[in-house]
Amino acid sequence: MARRTSLPVTFVVPTIAILLVLSMVPTLYAIVIALQNRELSTPDYSWVWLSNFVDLFLDRRFLNAVWVSVKWEIVTVVATMVVAIGLGVLMFEVASPRQRNVYCLLFIIPVLLPRVSAAFVWKFAYHPLYGIATYPYRLITGGLIFDPLSKPATALFAVASVDVWQWGLFFAVIVLKLLETLPPQPIEAARLDHARRWQIHAYVTLPMLKAPLISLMFVKMIESLRSFDLIYVMTRGGPGVATETLDMYAFSQGFIESGKVSYASAMAVLMMIATVITFTMLWKRVQA
Amino acid sequence: MKPIRLAAGLGAAFVLSATVSTIALAQAPVCSAPVKVLAQPRDGLTLLEDSKAEFEKLAGAGFQIDYLNENDRRAKSRADASTVGNYNVYYVDEANVALFASSKWIVPLTDYYPADYDYADFDPGRQKVATYDGKVWFAPLTGGGDLMVYRKDVLEAAGIQPPKTLDELIADVPKLTNPDKGMYGIALRGARGSGANVWRWMPFFKAYGGQWFDGDKPAFNSDAAVKATEAYLKLFKDSAPGTQTGSWDESTGAFLSGQVAILVESTPLSGMSVDPKTSQVVGKIGFLPPPSPLPGGGYGHGLAIAAKANADDASKKCAGLFIAWATSKENEKRRLDAHQFGELNRTSILSSKEFADIYGADLGQALAATGKVTAVNFWQDPRWPDLGDRWGIILEELVTGTRTDVKGGLNELEAYANELVKKK
Repeated sequence: MARRTSLPVTFVVPTIAILLVLSMVPTLYAIVIALQNRELSTPDYSWVWLSNFVDLFLDRRFLNAVWVSVKWEIVTVVATMVVAIGLGVLMFEVASPRQRNVYCLLFIIPVLLPRVSAAFVWKFAYHPLYGIATYPYRLITGGLIFDPLSKPATALFAVASVDVWQWGLFFAVIVLKLLETLPPQPIEAARLDHARRWQIHAYVTLPMLKAPLISLMFVKMIESLRSFDLIYVMTRGGPGVATETLDMYAFSQGFIESGKVSYASAMAVLMMIATVITFTMLWKRVQA
Repeated sequence: MKPIRLAAGLGAAFVLSATVSTIALAQAPVCSAPVKVLAQPRDGLTLLEDSKAEFEKLAGAGFQIDYLNENDRRAKSRADASTVGNYNVYYVDEANVALFASSKWIVPLTDYYPADYDYADFDPGRQKVATYDGKVWFAPLTGGGDLMVYRKDVLEAAGIQPPKTLDELIADVPKLTNPDKGMYGIALRGARGSGANVWRWMPFFKAYGGQWFDGDKPAFNSDAAVKATEAYLKLFKDSAPGTQTGSWDESTGAFLSGQVAILVESTPLSGMSVDPKTSQVVGKIGFLPPPSPLPGGGYGHGLAIAAKANADDASKKCAGLFIAWATSKENEKRRLDAHQFGELNRTSILSSKEFADIYGADLGQALAATGKVTAVNFWQDPRWPDLGDRWGIILEELVTGTRTDVKGGLNELEAYANELVKKK
């Protein structure tokens, strides 16, 4: 009996221990560094305790980065879910099984592209003179120039569109497959009640898919927090600081501009705290 | 006799084995492992990779070059040098040599640069940029100043003489802009960075009499800086599309594809503009020094010996040999033969008949004339990248219209500079 109870411990403890070391050591180290004033250019440092955190709240670029990150999160998550559900339902309604397979294959390709490659492709597509994405504007306006990546009002949306292009299309495939797994009876019952197509999806199918759709949304929320590479390649946080998210600013402070690794760590710690609190609250709200 | 023969035989064998050992020692490979280099893409380095076998024969080991674009190379080399030290050789430039040298991330080059490779043959201006605190830190891969490159056909059609002064340039550029015909008066750099938009803005700052510091006191928040920024922003209204958040690649790309009338840029542009492989405006361009009083932005990039990855003297010698070989006359001659104008740094090559035959007399004269107005415009201090990058962001905000108060931007920069000074 004793042997039976010790077996799970034998398997679980080393795994948990490795996970704890891998996750906790860097986290604790980041917290320790955030309380110091380390810079890359010198091995000397001292303890400054909460000074970095106080400085952050007086730093206009940090406050801007918080706002940009919130905007980025909202825009990319909402747009991805809208595109995914819209396209998923559209394919379910109008495409034959063979057509669906072709669409699924096409829609999966963008997410298979490495993020940096996708960023370079779209950066060129948005070029004001040669870009294919700006060509319709030049055509309609008789050659007027539109440079979405250099306009503060449009830069964030231009970069977000690439994120949505990759993930929205991929999620559309998942939504389609989810719709295909639903039992046909409730849908047939709704049709017999003369429900319109949109009503069937609004009141029957999508409510039935509430749990997996919420899971997809959480996946996208986490994924959107890691968009550093996309923004870095396309705008480097510019124009000015219009697309500078928290991770971009932390990297700039740590490695590009001033080598202030403690200041950057303080930002990372704040991001971690904010993310944990936000996700916990959202998760509890959704479960309730 | 036998003992004598035996003794003679043993003696001969000893002498022979000693000689062989000495030769073996003398020919012992300088490098015991491949040299790891962190660099940014350069045609000269790509060409160098074709001669890898030559270096292996010379040093006993090969080399591996990892390439990152300029800003990423700066960030990565800084992180690597201050932490793990994976690379034996760093590509450094005028903007960060002071930081790398004062942080002891690189070692003085000439201690490990074999005399046979003749460091004194490098262009004196580039030697000056490679020198910090009285010591030489890198061997140049590229460098120079600025040239004004202009479209003769476009200026003639508009009835405009090539501008000789900054005022003339500011007056002429709007007249040359004609978006309907895809022509823009100028191309500037808008992208953030001490080596990007700030680099192109600095000659304006100096032309209006600006100074960075007076001793330890910031002196750049001045009328000169305001005038320089306003002039830069005014010219930007006629800068080619894509340059507002672009840098060297975007501005030179616009010129070489025939969309820009006048460009004041770093000297490698002149070589690119006469090369049919890279330019669509061959035969239509002229060269002059930058309009007065714009000084040229003196710069230099090169290879330096890393301190951390080369813990012992043997490793430093190996890295030094690689740098010497990579920047040798033989390799520079190969770069000349491949028409890599921007990769030429040695006076023996720049003054050679082959150089004149390839690039013509006009360019040679313009280069000589611009040499006289080339200056170091940036603050030669380890804190320069920090200050320059901060101004780069504010300047990008001004260029793209995120902010409009020039004086407010300079006030913000001054507050930041005061923090930097306090930390010293």
